[in-house]
Amino acid sequence: MRVKLLYNTDLPALKAAIQAKGAPDDPDVLLDHVVYMFEIEDCSRVTTHQLVRHRAASYDQESQRFSAATREGVVTPPSVQKNEAALGAYDEALKAVYSAYEKMVAAGIPKEDARYVLPSAIKTKLVMTLNARSLMHIVWQRTALQAQWEIRELASKMLSLAKEATPELWTKILER
Amino acid sequence: MKVSLVWSSPKPERTIAVAMRRCYSTKTIEEIESELEQKGAEYWKYLLTKCLQDKSLDVLEHFTLSLMVEGMSEAEAVRLVGGFPYSRVSSLGADSWLVSLNARTLVEMWREPASKRFAESVVSELDSKQVCPVFNQVVFGERADAR
Repeated sequence: MRVKLLYNTDLPALKAAIQAKGAPDDPDVLLDHVVYMFEIEDCSRVTTHQLVRHRAASYDQESQRFSAATREGVVTPPSVQKNEAALGAYDEALKAVYSAYEKMVAAGIPKEDARYVLPSAIKTKLVMTLNARSLMHIVWQRTALQAQWEIRELASKMLSLAKEATPELWTKILER
Repeated sequence: MKVSLVWSSPKPERTIAVAMRRCYSTKTIEEIESELEQKGAEYWKYLLTKCLQDKSLDVLEHFTLSLMVEGMSEAEAVRLVGGFPYSRVSSLGADSWLVSLNARTLVEMWREPASKRFAESVVSELDSKQVCPVFNQVVFGERADAR
């Protein structure tokens, strides 16, 4: 999985505008106005299903209506990876699914209909834009131990990038 | 009411094009960006026109801006917050507000009679700062023609 920060709001410009009005640069105000746009690549559709439950964000995701699915582009969970019997079953199922997908596409079925058989393990790419408050909620819920391994990795990566881009804001947020 | 731009996301038309290509492409972000650089601004404009035709306004959500708004009443501020879930409004005291929104919300405000005046002030500020001339022309074209 790869996460890249495409842009973020210029925090000093925002603070200068607030200070010019004589208002305090309250982190609670900044949270609503500092925005980040991320590119997320090669996480599974299992994880993006969880991610889009965070509704106060904007998403645009690679569509299976238009782009062809490939056998290589799947995520294998570590628990399956380390269990020989499970890995065999996993591979077998994927083989069957992709064979059905390819046969349907070859028979003239539109990709948007053939995709109904595709697995949730499939890798996907998306852009996501959200403000610091939404990101704070995602980090709070999805870096917790109860969250699943893949979205924990995703949330941690987003947090590191946001911290690196706007360190003073996140120091204040994480202190709470 | 006075609207001044505090910050807007870089290269708005290209950002919208990135979001649009993301839906249709299996390429990496670097490949998409270099494809967009190569094809140039005319292609970004083509994609923007197409997304409006297809009513795929979601891609506009990645173009975001923050504004200082002076002389706006509390009633109007409340209407902006309540009516448009993706806009954020914070009071900075004495009729001054920090407002952040995305371009999709701006288009929706433009289309609603109750918020049209506010949207017009934002578009005119974006015009004067030359933030997104192509976006303004394609999206709010009738206004540009009328002038």
